[in-house]
Amino acid sequence: MSTSANVKAVERVTFWYGCNVLRHGDIIHACLDILRAIGFDPAPVGGPDYCCGTAKDANQTTAGGMATRTVGKLNDRAARVVAWCPSCHSHMHDFMEKGNERRFDMTYMVELLHANREKLAPLFVNRVPMRAMLHKHVGFNDLVPVNRMMPELLSLIPGVEVVDAGYAAPGYMCASFGPLPAALQDIHANTLRAAKACNAEAVVTTFHQCFREIVGLDAAGAIPVYNYIQLFAQSMGLPYEDEYKAWKRSPEAAKEMIGAERIAKVGIEFYERAILPELKKRPRV
Amino acid sequence: MPTKPIIGERLKAFQQSEAERILRACTSCGKCYEVCPMAQYAKPSGEAKSVVPGVLAVLRGERGTPEALGWIGVCTRSGLCVPACPENVDPKMMMRLARMTAFGGRGVAKQLDAKEDRDYFDRVRAFAKLQLTDDELKEWT
Repeated sequence: MSTSANVKAVERVTFWYGCNVLRHGDIIHACLDILRAIGFDPAPVGGPDYCCGTAKDANQTTAGGMATRTVGKLNDRAARVVAWCPSCHSHMHDFMEKGNERRFDMTYMVELLHANREKLAPLFVNRVPMRAMLHKHVGFNDLVPVNRMMPELLSLIPGVEVVDAGYAAPGYMCASFGPLPAALQDIHANTLRAAKACNAEAVVTTFHQCFREIVGLDAAGAIPVYNYIQLFAQSMGLPYEDEYKAWKRSPEAAKEMIGAERIAKVGIEFYERAILPELKKRPRV
Repeated sequence: MPTKPIIGERLKAFQQSEAERILRACTSCGKCYEVCPMAQYAKPSGEAKSVVPGVLAVLRGERGTPEALGWIGVCTRSGLCVPACPENVDPKMMMRLARMTAFGGRGVAKQLDAKEDRDYFDRVRAFAKLQLTDDELKEWT
């Protein structure tokens, strides 16, 4: 056998993680390790400088400028883009690529993992005993069938039993319900009701935007909540700690957990005004 | 001397052509409203066949009815309207464009207040500083 036949082909990809997942460094780091483990060489990019512009419905000049800048930066990287954020992925499909020349292939993270599930399965070496209910939305599935793919992926983890009570929330992810508190409260209540109905021991989210909202149920002591990447990481033995959940569970102790050095990076005034209230927020169920 | 391209010009042209396509194709049958899981949260609510013409008015740059604006304000892109539409209008796109228009984002007068988080990007940057190393911040963001 030739030497070259023994060398695994590694595809260089751009891992476009988006903006708000920066609340969850453990998810970004675990995604990178998982991508590497299944044969990709990911270059991570994200944050406001790579924003898709989807949040700027009220200013299409700004949104258009952001789209042009971000498509241009992704074009310059000359690699397939793996999107983490469902908002970025759908905004690229619906608008960004219609107003700009996209010169890269694009895949959604769940889609890529599902396509590589034969490589992924042997990496799940640790049991994660859990009756898990997937938190679903009705939207986004027309673009990527995540509600079908996610249970198939979760079932690869030894010990995970995927249970379902048939509930799918409206919308495509929870964060867009911020200005609609009554609807978000219904989603929280219905999610918890569905989890109880199917005897789930935990709720698992596909999107970080849902994790950020639904983890409030965990912090309130109603039911444990995870993002699917965190279960993948547990089973693969990856070391990342979910700091956001720890801060959310104990907001009064969060400042101490974060530590003075990191608090100084954001400023105590900003921490107390803009971060602490988010950590203290609890669902009304 | 070459003219400087207008920011977002192609995107705006796409949005305009989509709005015109939707205005030509929609028959206001109301199926999109009937299947919408968010219609129950719209205030004020209305009858399906009377709400949709108000959405089309917004797309034309005209004043929308209170019922249409109430529905536009609660659209969260569930997308159940897309397969329900007998005319392949793509009501999800219709609602998104109506939302951009009603927020004043497409050059006509604002009819709805966009509830933007003034700390949105600063909060993202702050969490990045708490969660990533200095090298990661420099190379990834």
